[in-house]
Amino acid sequence: MLRKLLKYEWMGLRFPLMIMMIVLAGTMVLTCCVILTINPKLDQTIAWYSAMALMLSFFLYYFGIIGCTIGTTLIVVVRFYKTCYTDQGYLTHTLPATAYQILNSKLLAAVLTQLLMIISIMLSIFIILQVGIRHVFSFIPEYSYAELYDQLSFQLSLIAESFAKDFGIRISYWIAYLVIYSVIGITANIITLFGCVSLGQLYAKHRVIGAICAYFIVQFVMFIVGYISALPMYTKMLTGSYSRDVTIFGIMSPTMNLSLFATILLAVGMYFANVHMMTKRLNLE
Amino acid sequence: MDENNISTAYTPNDSVQALPAQDNTIPKDPIYVDSDKMSAPYSNMPLLQLNDLCKRYPGMGTYMSVFHMNLVIPRGRIIGLLGPNGCGKTTLIKMINGLLAPTSGNVLINGMSPCPATKKVISYLPERTYLDNSMKVSQMVTYFADFYEDFSTEKAYGMLGALGISSDARLKTLSKGTKEKVQLILVMSRQADLYILDEPIAGVDPAARDYILRTIITNYNPGSTIILSTHLISDIENVLDDVIFMKNGSLMLYTSVDSIRSQMGKSIDTYFREVYAC
Repeated sequence: MLRKLLKYEWMGLRFPLMIMMIVLAGTMVLTCCVILTINPKLDQTIAWYSAMALMLSFFLYYFGIIGCTIGTTLIVVVRFYKTCYTDQGYLTHTLPATAYQILNSKLLAAVLTQLLMIISIMLSIFIILQVGIRHVFSFIPEYSYAELYDQLSFQLSLIAESFAKDFGIRISYWIAYLVIYSVIGITANIITLFGCVSLGQLYAKHRVIGAICAYFIVQFVMFIVGYISALPMYTKMLTGSYSRDVTIFGIMSPTMNLSLFATILLAVGMYFANVHMMTKRLNLE
Repeated sequence: MDENNISTAYTPNDSVQALPAQDNTIPKDPIYVDSDKMSAPYSNMPLLQLNDLCKRYPGMGTYMSVFHMNLVIPRGRIIGLLGPNGCGKTTLIKMINGLLAPTSGNVLINGMSPCPATKKVISYLPERTYLDNSMKVSQMVTYFADFYEDFSTEKAYGMLGALGISSDARLKTLSKGTKEKVQLILVMSRQADLYILDEPIAGVDPAARDYILRTIITNYNPGSTIILSTHLISDIENVLDDVIFMKNGSLMLYTSVDSIRSQMGKSIDTYFREVYAC
Protein backbone atom coordinates (compact mmCIF):
# COMPACT_ATOMS: atom_id res chain seq x y z
CA MET A 1 0.00 0.00 0.00
CA LEU A 2 2.82 2.39 0.93
CA ARG A 3 4.41 1.82 -2.48
CA LYS A 4 1.15 2.66 -4.27
CA LEU A 5 0.62 5.76 -2.16
CA LEU A 6 4.21 6.82 -2.78
CA LYS A 7 3.78 6.33 -6.51
CA TYR A 8 0.82 8.69 -6.68
CA GLU A 9 2.44 11.15 -4.31
CA TRP A 10 5.47 11.30 -6.56
CA MET A 11 3.22 11.66 -9.62
CA GLY A 12 1.65 14.69 -8.01
CA LEU A 13 4.97 16.29 -7.07
CA ARG A 14 7.12 15.57 -10.09
CA PHE A 15 5.55 18.10 -12.46
CA PRO A 16 5.91 21.17 -10.18
CA LEU A 17 9.40 19.94 -9.23
CA MET A 18 10.28 19.76 -12.91
CA ILE A 19 9.16 23.37 -13.34
CA MET A 20 11.40 24.40 -10.43
CA MET A 21 14.30 22.54 -11.98
CA ILE A 22 13.71 24.22 -15.33
CA VAL A 23 13.84 27.62 -13.58
CA LEU A 24 17.08 26.60 -11.84
CA ALA A 25 18.56 25.30 -15.09
CA GLY A 26 17.52 28.50 -16.86
CA THR A 27 19.31 30.77 -14.37
CA MET A 28 22.34 28.46 -14.42
CA VAL A 29 22.57 28.48 -18.23
CA LEU A 30 22.19 32.27 -18.26
CA THR A 31 25.00 32.64 -15.72
CA CYS A 32 27.23 30.27 -17.72
CA CYS A 33 26.53 32.20 -20.94
CA VAL A 34 27.40 35.51 -19.26
CA ILE A 35 30.64 33.97 -17.88
CA LEU A 36 31.56 32.88 -21.38
CA THR A 37 31.13 36.46 -22.70
CA ILE A 38 33.89 37.74 -20.38
CA ASN A 39 37.02 38.38 -22.34
CA PRO A 40 40.03 40.31 -20.93
CA LYS A 41 40.94 41.27 -24.50
CA LEU A 42 37.80 43.37 -24.85
CA ASP A 43 38.03 47.14 -24.40
CA GLN A 44 37.27 48.63 -21.02
CA THR A 45 33.69 49.76 -21.71
CA ILE A 46 32.57 46.38 -23.01
CA ALA A 47 34.43 44.65 -20.15
CA TRP A 48 32.51 46.85 -17.69
CA TYR A 49 29.18 45.89 -19.26
CA SER A 50 30.31 42.29 -19.22
CA ALA A 51 31.16 42.47 -15.51
CA MET A 52 27.82 44.15 -14.76
CA ALA A 53 25.98 41.45 -16.71
CA LEU A 54 27.89 38.81 -14.74
CA MET A 55 26.94 40.42 -11.46
CA LEU A 56 23.28 40.62 -12.48
CA SER A 57 23.26 37.02 -13.63
CA PHE A 58 24.75 35.95 -10.29
CA PHE A 59 21.99 37.86 -8.52
CA LEU A 60 19.43 36.17 -10.73
CA TYR A 61 20.99 32.78 -10.06
CA TYR A 62 21.07 33.47 -6.33
CA PHE A 63 17.39 34.41 -6.30
CA GLY A 64 16.72 31.38 -8.52
CA ILE A 65 18.22 29.14 -5.84
CA ILE A 66 16.26 30.86 -3.07
CA GLY A 67 13.07 30.70 -5.13
CA CYS A 68 13.54 27.03 -5.97
CA THR A 69 14.27 26.11 -2.35
CA ILE A 70 11.25 27.97 -0.98
CA GLY A 71 9.15 26.91 -3.97
CA THR A 72 9.89 23.22 -3.41
CA THR A 73 8.95 23.49 0.25
CA LEU A 74 5.73 25.28 -0.67
CA ILE A 75 4.90 22.65 -3.28
CA VAL A 76 5.08 19.78 -0.81
CA VAL A 77 3.22 21.67 1.91
CA VAL A 78 0.45 22.86 -0.43
CA ARG A 79 0.06 19.34 -1.82
CA PHE A 80 -0.16 17.94 1.70
CA TYR A 81 -2.85 20.49 2.59
CA LYS A 82 -4.79 19.93 -0.62
CA THR A 83 -4.77 16.15 -0.54
CA CYS A 84 -5.44 15.84 3.19
CA TYR A 85 -7.68 18.71 4.19
CA THR A 86 -9.54 20.04 1.15
CA ASP A 87 -12.03 18.21 -1.05
CA GLN A 88 -9.34 15.77 -2.17
CA GLY A 89 -9.10 14.69 1.46
CA TYR A 90 -12.37 12.80 0.96
CA LEU A 91 -10.52 10.55 -1.47
CA THR A 92 -7.27 10.34 0.52
CA HIS A 93 -8.91 9.43 3.82
CA THR A 94 -11.28 6.84 2.34
CA LEU A 95 -8.48 4.85 0.74
CA PRO A 96 -7.91 1.48 2.39
CA ALA A 97 -4.76 2.73 4.08
CA THR A 98 -3.85 3.70 7.62
CA ALA A 99 -3.09 7.29 8.61
CA TYR A 100 0.53 6.19 9.17
CA GLN A 101 0.79 4.90 5.61
CA ILE A 102 -0.72 8.07 4.17
CA LEU A 103 1.56 10.28 6.24
CA ASN A 104 4.68 8.21 5.56
CA SER A 105 4.10 8.27 1.82
CA LYS A 106 3.70 12.04 1.83
CA LEU A 107 6.74 12.45 4.04
CA LEU A 108 8.98 10.21 1.95
CA ALA A 109 7.92 11.87 -1.30
CA ALA A 110 8.46 15.33 0.21
CA VAL A 111 11.94 14.47 1.54
CA LEU A 112 12.87 12.94 -1.82
CA THR A 113 11.67 16.10 -3.60
CA GLN A 114 13.67 18.34 -1.27
CA LEU A 115 16.81 16.21 -1.60
CA LEU A 116 16.52 16.18 -5.38
CA MET A 117 16.28 19.96 -5.38
CA ILE A 118 19.33 20.29 -3.10
CA ILE A 119 21.34 17.90 -5.30
CA SER A 120 20.25 19.90 -8.39
CA ILE A 121 21.37 23.15 -6.76
CA MET A 122 24.76 21.67 -5.84
CA LEU A 123 25.13 20.27 -9.35
CA SER A 124 24.34 23.66 -10.87
CA ILE A 125 26.95 25.35 -8.63
CA PHE A 126 29.50 22.74 -9.70
CA ILE A 127 28.68 23.31 -13.39
CA ILE A 128 28.99 27.11 -13.02
CA LEU A 129 32.36 26.71 -11.26
CA GLN A 130 33.59 24.33 -13.95
CA VAL A 131 32.50 26.66 -16.75
CA GLY A 132 34.12 29.64 -14.98
CA ILE A 133 37.43 27.87 -14.27
CA ARG A 134 37.74 26.40 -17.76
CA HIS A 135 36.85 29.76 -19.32
CA VAL A 136 39.52 31.53 -17.24
CA PHE A 137 42.09 28.90 -18.21
CA SER A 138 41.30 29.39 -21.86
CA PHE A 139 43.07 32.79 -21.52
CA ILE A 140 46.11 31.28 -19.72
CA PRO A 141 47.46 28.65 -22.09
CA GLU A 142 50.65 28.20 -20.06
CA TYR A 143 48.64 27.08 -16.98
CA SER A 144 46.63 23.87 -17.37
CA TYR A 145 43.54 22.67 -15.59
CA ALA A 146 45.42 19.55 -14.48
CA GLU A 147 48.01 21.73 -12.73
CA LEU A 148 45.28 23.63 -10.92
CA TYR A 149 43.63 20.37 -9.93
CA ASP A 150 46.94 19.10 -8.48
CA GLN A 151 47.50 22.31 -6.56
CA LEU A 152 43.94 22.33 -5.35
CA SER A 153 44.26 18.72 -4.15
CA PHE A 154 47.46 19.60 -2.32
CA GLN A 155 45.90 22.65 -0.68
CA LEU A 156 42.82 20.67 0.28
CA SER A 157 44.96 18.01 1.96
CA LEU A 158 46.67 20.77 3.95
CA ILE A 159 43.31 22.24 4.88
CA ALA A 160 42.08 18.78 5.89
CA GLU A 161 45.09 18.30 8.13
CA SER A 162 44.72 21.65 9.86
CA PHE A 163 40.95 21.10 10.06
CA ALA A 164 41.46 17.77 11.84
CA LYS A 165 43.91 19.43 14.22
CA ASP A 166 41.70 22.46 15.02
CA PHE A 167 38.30 20.78 14.93
CA GLY A 168 39.33 17.51 16.53
CA ILE A 169 37.53 15.50 13.86
CA ARG A 170 38.49 14.39 10.35
CA ILE A 171 36.96 16.50 7.59
CA SER A 172 35.30 13.44 5.99
CA TYR A 173 33.56 12.64 9.29
CA TRP A 174 32.58 16.28 9.67
CA ILE A 175 31.04 16.27 6.17
CA ALA A 176 29.24 12.98 6.94
CA TYR A 177 28.02 14.49 10.22
CA LEU A 178 26.73 17.57 8.39
CA VAL A 179 25.02 15.47 5.70
CA ILE A 180 23.23 13.35 8.33
CA TYR A 181 22.43 16.51 10.31
CA SER A 182 20.97 18.14 7.17
CA VAL A 183 18.90 15.12 6.11
CA ILE A 184 17.45 14.84 9.63
CA GLY A 185 16.89 18.61 9.65
CA ILE A 186 15.09 18.54 6.28
CA THR A 187 12.91 15.61 7.34
CA ALA A 188 12.11 17.23 10.69
CA ASN A 189 11.31 20.51 8.97
CA ILE A 190 8.84 18.81 6.63
CA ILE A 191 7.17 16.91 9.47
CA THR A 192 6.93 20.18 11.41
CA LEU A 193 5.38 21.98 8.45
CA PHE A 194 2.91 19.13 7.91
CA GLY A 195 2.16 19.19 11.64
CA CYS A 196 1.46 22.92 11.54
CA VAL A 197 -0.89 22.44 8.57
CA SER A 198 -2.67 19.72 10.53
CA LEU A 199 -2.86 21.80 13.73
CA GLY A 200 -4.30 24.65 11.65
CA GLN A 201 -7.34 22.41 11.05
CA LEU A 202 -8.32 22.97 14.67
CA TYR A 203 -9.41 26.46 13.63
CA ALA A 204 -12.27 25.32 11.40
CA LYS A 205 -13.02 28.78 10.02
CA HIS A 206 -9.42 29.98 9.55
CA ARG A 207 -7.47 26.85 8.69
CA VAL A 208 -4.65 28.50 6.73
CA ILE A 209 -4.18 31.31 9.25
CA GLY A 210 -4.27 28.68 12.00
CA ALA A 211 -1.50 26.74 10.26
CA ILE A 212 0.64 29.89 9.88
CA CYS A 213 0.12 30.80 13.55
CA ALA A 214 1.02 27.24 14.59
CA TYR A 215 4.22 27.50 12.53
CA PHE A 216 5.27 30.78 14.16
CA ILE A 217 4.53 29.42 17.64
CA VAL A 218 6.61 26.31 16.91
CA GLN A 219 9.44 28.44 15.50
CA PHE A 220 9.38 30.67 18.59
CA VAL A 221 9.55 27.66 20.89
CA MET A 222 12.41 26.22 18.82
CA PHE A 223 14.22 29.57 19.02
CA ILE A 224 14.08 29.41 22.82
CA VAL A 225 15.19 25.77 22.76
CA GLY A 226 18.02 26.70 20.37
CA TYR A 227 19.13 29.47 22.71
CA ILE A 228 19.15 27.11 25.68
CA SER A 229 20.97 24.41 23.73
CA ALA A 230 23.65 26.97 22.78
CA LEU A 231 24.49 27.53 26.46
CA PRO A 232 26.98 24.61 26.62
CA MET A 233 28.79 26.11 23.61
CA TYR A 234 29.04 29.56 25.20
CA THR A 235 30.18 27.98 28.47
CA LYS A 236 32.88 25.96 26.73
CA MET A 237 33.95 28.99 24.69
CA LEU A 238 34.43 30.97 27.90
CA THR A 239 36.26 28.21 29.72
CA GLY A 240 37.98 26.79 26.62
CA SER A 241 40.50 29.61 26.45
CA TYR A 242 42.07 28.21 29.60
CA SER A 243 42.29 24.67 28.29
CA ARG A 244 44.78 23.49 25.67
CA ASP A 245 42.88 20.27 24.87
CA VAL A 246 39.65 21.83 23.75
CA THR A 247 38.79 21.61 20.01
CA ILE A 248 36.23 23.51 17.93
CA PHE A 249 34.19 20.33 17.43
CA GLY A 250 34.39 19.74 21.16
CA ILE A 251 32.86 23.16 21.71
CA MET A 252 30.27 22.93 18.93
CA SER A 253 29.16 19.30 19.12
CA PRO A 254 27.18 19.47 22.41
CA THR A 255 25.15 22.38 21.07
CA MET A 256 24.69 20.77 17.68
CA ASN A 257 23.72 17.46 19.26
CA LEU A 258 21.32 19.14 21.68
CA SER A 259 19.79 21.12 18.82
CA LEU A 260 19.51 17.92 16.75
CA PHE A 261 17.92 16.13 19.69
CA ALA A 262 15.39 18.97 20.10
CA THR A 263 14.64 18.89 16.37
CA ILE A 264 14.09 15.12 16.45
CA LEU A 265 11.90 15.45 19.53
CA LEU A 266 9.83 18.14 17.81
CA ALA A 267 9.56 16.03 14.65
CA VAL A 268 8.38 12.99 16.62
CA GLY A 269 5.82 15.14 18.43
CA MET A 270 4.63 16.67 15.18
CA TYR A 271 4.44 13.25 13.53
CA PHE A 272 2.03 12.00 16.17
CA ALA A 273 0.16 15.32 16.09
CA ASN A 274 -0.36 14.68 12.38
CA VAL A 275 -1.61 11.16 12.99
CA HIS A 276 -3.90 12.39 15.78
CA MET A 277 -5.35 15.10 13.55
CA MET A 278 -5.85 12.65 10.68
CA THR A 279 -7.64 10.11 12.82
CA LYS A 280 -9.29 11.67 15.85
CA ARG A 281 -9.72 15.30 14.84
CA LEU A 282 -10.30 15.05 11.12
CA ASN A 283 -13.02 17.49 10.10
CA LEU A 284 -13.13 18.05 6.37
CA GLU A 285 -15.21 20.96 5.15
CA MET B 1 -34.91 19.75 27.34
CA ASP B 2 -32.08 19.29 24.95
CA GLU B 3 -32.67 20.74 21.53
CA ASN B 4 -31.96 17.39 19.97
CA ASN B 5 -34.69 15.66 21.94
CA ILE B 6 -37.35 17.53 20.01
CA SER B 7 -36.78 15.24 17.07
CA THR B 8 -37.18 12.03 19.04
CA ALA B 9 -40.41 13.38 20.49
CA TYR B 10 -41.75 14.34 17.08
CA THR B 11 -44.74 12.30 15.97
CA PRO B 12 -46.08 12.27 12.41
CA ASN B 13 -49.78 12.66 12.00
CA ASP B 14 -50.74 9.24 10.74
CA SER B 15 -50.42 5.54 11.40
CA VAL B 16 -46.79 5.17 10.32
CA GLN B 17 -45.64 6.41 13.63
CA ALA B 18 -42.27 7.96 14.18
CA LEU B 19 -41.69 5.72 17.13
CA PRO B 20 -38.86 6.41 19.52
CA ALA B 21 -35.65 5.94 17.63
CA GLN B 22 -34.57 2.76 19.38
CA ASP B 23 -37.86 1.02 18.55
CA ASN B 24 -37.67 2.06 14.96
CA THR B 25 -34.28 0.82 13.97
CA ILE B 26 -35.24 -2.18 11.87
CA PRO B 27 -37.62 -2.17 8.92
CA LYS B 28 -40.96 -3.78 9.57
CA ASP B 29 -40.96 -5.87 6.43
CA PRO B 30 -38.84 -9.01 6.21
CA ILE B 31 -35.65 -8.51 4.28
CA TYR B 32 -34.66 -11.18 1.81
CA VAL B 33 -31.01 -11.33 0.96
CA ASP B 34 -29.29 -13.76 -1.35
CA SER B 35 -26.81 -15.10 1.16
CA ASP B 36 -24.55 -16.56 -1.59
CA LYS B 37 -23.71 -13.04 -2.71
CA MET B 38 -22.71 -11.79 0.68
CA SER B 39 -19.12 -11.46 1.74
CA ALA B 40 -18.70 -14.89 3.26
CA PRO B 41 -16.92 -14.06 6.55
CA TYR B 42 -19.40 -11.34 7.47
CA SER B 43 -22.66 -12.80 6.20
CA ASN B 44 -24.03 -13.52 9.68
CA MET B 45 -23.51 -10.02 11.05
CA PRO B 46 -25.19 -6.75 10.15
CA LEU B 47 -23.47 -4.81 7.44
CA LEU B 48 -23.69 -1.55 9.34
CA GLN B 49 -24.51 -0.96 12.96
CA LEU B 50 -24.65 2.36 14.79
CA ASN B 51 -24.57 2.13 18.58
CA ASP B 52 -25.67 5.19 20.49
CA LEU B 53 -23.78 7.34 18.04
CA CYS B 54 -23.32 11.02 18.87
CA LYS B 55 -21.37 13.80 17.25
CA ARG B 56 -20.82 17.25 18.66
CA TYR B 57 -18.64 19.67 16.72
CA PRO B 58 -16.28 21.92 18.66
CA GLY B 59 -17.71 25.40 19.12
CA MET B 60 -21.31 24.21 18.72
CA GLY B 61 -22.07 24.26 22.43
CA THR B 62 -24.26 21.40 23.57
CA TYR B 63 -25.85 20.92 20.17
CA MET B 64 -25.30 17.45 18.76
CA SER B 65 -25.20 17.08 14.99
CA VAL B 66 -25.92 13.38 15.46
CA PHE B 67 -27.78 12.47 18.62
CA HIS B 68 -27.78 9.00 20.21
CA MET B 69 -28.40 7.19 16.98
CA ASN B 70 -28.98 3.45 16.95
CA LEU B 71 -29.39 1.69 13.66
CA VAL B 72 -28.86 -1.69 12.07
CA ILE B 73 -28.54 -1.78 8.31
CA PRO B 74 -28.84 -5.21 6.68
CA ARG B 75 -27.44 -6.36 3.37
CA GLY B 76 -29.21 -6.19 0.03
CA ARG B 77 -31.21 -3.00 0.47
CA ILE B 78 -31.38 0.33 -1.26
CA ILE B 79 -31.99 2.86 1.47
CA GLY B 80 -32.83 6.52 1.16
CA LEU B 81 -31.29 8.68 3.88
CA LEU B 82 -33.65 11.63 3.95
CA GLY B 83 -34.00 14.77 5.92
CA PRO B 84 -33.84 18.56 5.67
CA ASN B 85 -30.60 20.50 5.37
CA GLY B 86 -28.48 20.38 8.49
CA CYS B 87 -30.23 17.36 9.97
CA GLY B 88 -26.96 15.44 10.28
CA LYS B 89 -27.04 13.21 7.18
CA THR B 90 -23.56 14.16 5.95
CA THR B 91 -22.12 14.05 9.48
CA LEU B 92 -23.49 10.53 9.86
CA ILE B 93 -22.09 9.50 6.49
CA LYS B 94 -18.68 10.94 7.36
CA MET B 95 -18.59 8.98 10.61
CA ILE B 96 -19.46 5.77 8.79
CA ASN B 97 -16.57 6.45 6.41
CA GLY B 98 -14.10 7.25 9.17
CA LEU B 99 -13.86 10.89 8.11
CA LEU B 100 -15.13 12.08 11.48
CA ALA B 101 -14.55 10.61 14.90
CA PRO B 102 -17.76 10.15 16.93
CA THR B 103 -18.08 12.08 20.19
CA SER B 104 -19.53 8.95 21.75
CA GLY B 105 -20.95 5.65 20.59
CA ASN B 106 -19.55 3.68 17.72
CA VAL B 107 -19.97 2.63 14.12
CA LEU B 108 -19.47 -0.99 13.15
CA ILE B 109 -19.10 -2.12 9.56
CA ASN B 110 -19.06 -5.90 9.28
CA GLY B 111 -18.46 -5.81 13.02
CA MET B 112 -15.41 -3.54 12.77
CA SER B 113 -14.87 0.12 13.58
CA PRO B 114 -13.87 2.26 10.56
CA CYS B 115 -10.38 1.17 9.49
CA PRO B 116 -8.60 0.23 6.24
CA ALA B 117 -10.46 -3.11 6.24
CA THR B 118 -13.85 -1.37 6.34
CA LYS B 119 -12.77 1.15 3.71
CA LYS B 120 -12.14 -1.79 1.41
CA VAL B 121 -15.83 -2.71 1.54
CA ILE B 122 -17.34 0.78 1.41
CA SER B 123 -17.64 2.68 -1.82
CA TYR B 124 -18.29 6.30 -0.94
CA LEU B 125 -19.42 9.14 -3.13
CA PRO B 126 -19.15 12.46 -1.24
CA GLU B 127 -21.24 15.49 -2.08
CA ARG B 128 -18.05 17.23 -3.24
CA THR B 129 -15.78 16.71 -6.21
CA TYR B 130 -12.81 14.95 -4.69
CA LEU B 131 -10.81 14.06 -7.77
CA ASP B 132 -7.39 15.49 -8.52
CA ASN B 133 -8.03 18.01 -11.29
CA SER B 134 -4.56 17.64 -12.73
CA MET B 135 -5.18 13.98 -13.57
CA LYS B 136 -6.74 12.48 -16.66
CA VAL B 137 -9.90 10.39 -16.43
CA SER B 138 -7.90 7.30 -17.42
CA GLN B 139 -5.38 8.03 -14.64
CA MET B 140 -8.21 8.20 -12.12
CA VAL B 141 -9.47 4.83 -13.37
CA THR B 142 -5.96 3.41 -12.86
CA TYR B 143 -5.83 5.06 -9.42
CA PHE B 144 -9.04 3.33 -8.32
CA ALA B 145 -7.90 0.04 -9.86
CA ASP B 146 -4.62 0.31 -7.93
CA PHE B 147 -6.19 0.95 -4.56
CA TYR B 148 -9.40 -1.05 -4.67
CA GLU B 149 -9.20 -4.75 -5.38
CA ASP B 150 -12.93 -4.85 -6.14
CA PHE B 151 -12.71 -2.19 -8.85
CA SER B 152 -13.67 -3.22 -12.41
CA THR B 153 -11.76 -1.24 -15.05
CA GLU B 154 -13.91 -2.71 -17.84
CA LYS B 155 -17.10 -1.58 -16.15
CA ALA B 156 -15.67 1.91 -15.63
CA TYR B 157 -14.62 2.32 -19.27
CA GLY B 158 -17.95 0.90 -20.37
CA MET B 159 -19.87 3.50 -18.40
CA LEU B 160 -17.54 6.31 -19.48
CA GLY B 161 -18.12 5.30 -23.10
CA ALA B 162 -21.89 5.16 -22.58
CA LEU B 163 -21.87 8.70 -21.21
CA GLY B 164 -19.54 9.93 -23.94
CA ILE B 165 -16.78 10.96 -21.54
CA SER B 166 -13.33 10.80 -23.04
CA SER B 167 -10.85 8.90 -20.90
CA ASP B 168 -8.05 11.13 -22.20
CA ALA B 169 -9.70 14.31 -20.91
CA ARG B 170 -8.11 16.03 -17.96
CA LEU B 171 -10.52 16.50 -15.09
CA LYS B 172 -9.90 20.24 -14.98
CA THR B 173 -11.31 20.53 -18.51
CA LEU B 174 -14.58 18.84 -17.55
CA SER B 175 -17.69 20.58 -16.30
CA LYS B 176 -18.80 20.12 -12.68
CA GLY B 177 -21.63 17.83 -13.76
CA THR B 178 -19.32 15.67 -15.88
CA LYS B 179 -16.84 15.39 -13.01
CA GLU B 180 -19.68 14.20 -10.79
CA LYS B 181 -20.58 11.61 -13.39
CA VAL B 182 -16.95 10.43 -13.51
CA GLN B 183 -16.94 10.18 -9.71
CA LEU B 184 -20.13 8.18 -9.70
CA ILE B 185 -18.81 5.86 -12.39
CA LEU B 186 -15.65 5.25 -10.35
CA VAL B 187 -17.64 4.58 -7.20
CA MET B 188 -20.16 2.30 -8.89
CA SER B 189 -17.45 0.34 -10.73
CA ARG B 190 -16.54 -1.26 -7.44
CA GLN B 191 -18.08 -4.45 -6.10
CA ALA B 192 -18.41 -3.08 -2.59
CA ASP B 193 -20.56 -4.35 0.27
CA LEU B 194 -21.83 -0.89 1.09
CA TYR B 195 -22.26 2.04 -1.27
CA ILE B 196 -22.78 5.40 0.35
CA LEU B 197 -23.87 8.03 -2.10
CA ASP B 198 -24.21 11.56 -0.76
CA GLU B 199 -26.31 13.65 -3.14
CA PRO B 200 -25.34 11.67 -6.26
CA ILE B 201 -27.81 13.38 -8.58
CA ALA B 202 -27.86 16.92 -7.22
CA GLY B 203 -25.42 18.43 -9.70
CA VAL B 204 -26.47 16.74 -12.91
CA ASP B 205 -29.13 17.54 -15.46
CA PRO B 206 -32.47 15.67 -15.33
CA ALA B 207 -31.62 13.65 -18.43
CA ALA B 208 -28.46 12.33 -16.84
CA ARG B 209 -30.28 11.54 -13.59
CA ASP B 210 -32.14 8.67 -15.20
CA TYR B 211 -28.88 7.24 -16.49
CA ILE B 212 -27.24 7.63 -13.10
CA LEU B 213 -30.11 5.95 -11.28
CA ARG B 214 -30.07 3.14 -13.83
CA THR B 215 -26.32 2.90 -13.27
CA ILE B 216 -26.83 2.64 -9.54
CA ILE B 217 -29.47 -0.06 -9.82
CA THR B 218 -27.79 -2.14 -12.49
CA ASN B 219 -24.27 -1.96 -11.11
CA TYR B 220 -24.73 -2.86 -7.55
CA ASN B 221 -24.29 -6.34 -6.23
CA PRO B 222 -27.64 -7.63 -4.90
CA GLY B 223 -25.87 -8.67 -1.71
CA SER B 224 -24.72 -5.10 -1.20
CA THR B 225 -26.53 -2.20 0.34
CA ILE B 226 -26.81 1.30 -1.02
CA ILE B 227 -27.41 4.28 1.23
CA LEU B 228 -28.53 7.20 -0.84
CA SER B 229 -28.77 10.66 0.61
CA THR B 230 -30.67 13.22 -1.44
CA HIS B 231 -33.27 15.94 -1.44
CA LEU B 232 -34.56 14.89 -4.86
CA ILE B 233 -36.89 12.28 -3.41
CA SER B 234 -39.31 12.03 -6.29
CA ASP B 235 -36.44 11.09 -8.60
CA ILE B 236 -35.24 8.22 -6.46
CA GLU B 237 -38.22 6.91 -4.56
CA ASN B 238 -38.99 4.24 -7.14
CA VAL B 239 -35.63 2.59 -6.59
CA LEU B 240 -35.72 2.62 -2.79
CA ASP B 241 -36.48 -0.35 -0.56
CA ASP B 242 -36.33 1.50 2.76
CA VAL B 243 -36.12 5.06 3.99
CA ILE B 244 -34.45 6.65 6.96
CA PHE B 245 -35.86 10.01 8.05
CA MET B 246 -33.59 12.18 10.16
CA LYS B 247 -34.33 15.37 12.00
CA ASN B 248 -32.06 17.47 14.22
CA GLY B 249 -29.47 14.72 14.28
CA SER B 250 -31.86 12.02 15.43
CA LEU B 251 -33.38 9.06 13.71
CA MET B 252 -37.04 9.84 13.16
CA LEU B 253 -38.18 6.91 11.11
CA TYR B 254 -36.67 3.83 9.55
CA THR B 255 -39.15 1.82 7.61
CA SER B 256 -39.77 0.26 4.23
CA VAL B 257 -41.07 2.29 1.33
CA ASP B 258 -43.90 -0.18 0.86
CA SER B 259 -45.15 0.27 4.40
CA ILE B 260 -45.37 4.02 3.94
CA ARG B 261 -47.21 3.58 0.67
CA SER B 262 -49.61 0.94 1.99
CA GLN B 263 -50.31 2.48 5.38
CA MET B 264 -50.26 6.13 4.37
CA GLY B 265 -51.36 5.82 0.77
CA LYS B 266 -48.80 8.47 -0.09
CA SER B 267 -45.61 8.67 -2.02
CA ILE B 268 -42.37 9.13 -0.08
CA ASP B 269 -42.03 12.60 -1.55
CA THR B 270 -45.48 13.64 -0.34
CA TYR B 271 -44.94 12.08 3.06
CA PHE B 272 -41.56 13.79 3.39
CA ARG B 273 -43.13 17.17 2.61
CA GLU B 274 -45.78 16.59 5.27
CA VAL B 275 -43.32 15.47 7.91
CA TYR B 276 -40.87 18.28 7.31
CA ALA B 277 -43.41 21.01 6.53
CA CYS B 278 -42.11 24.35 7.76
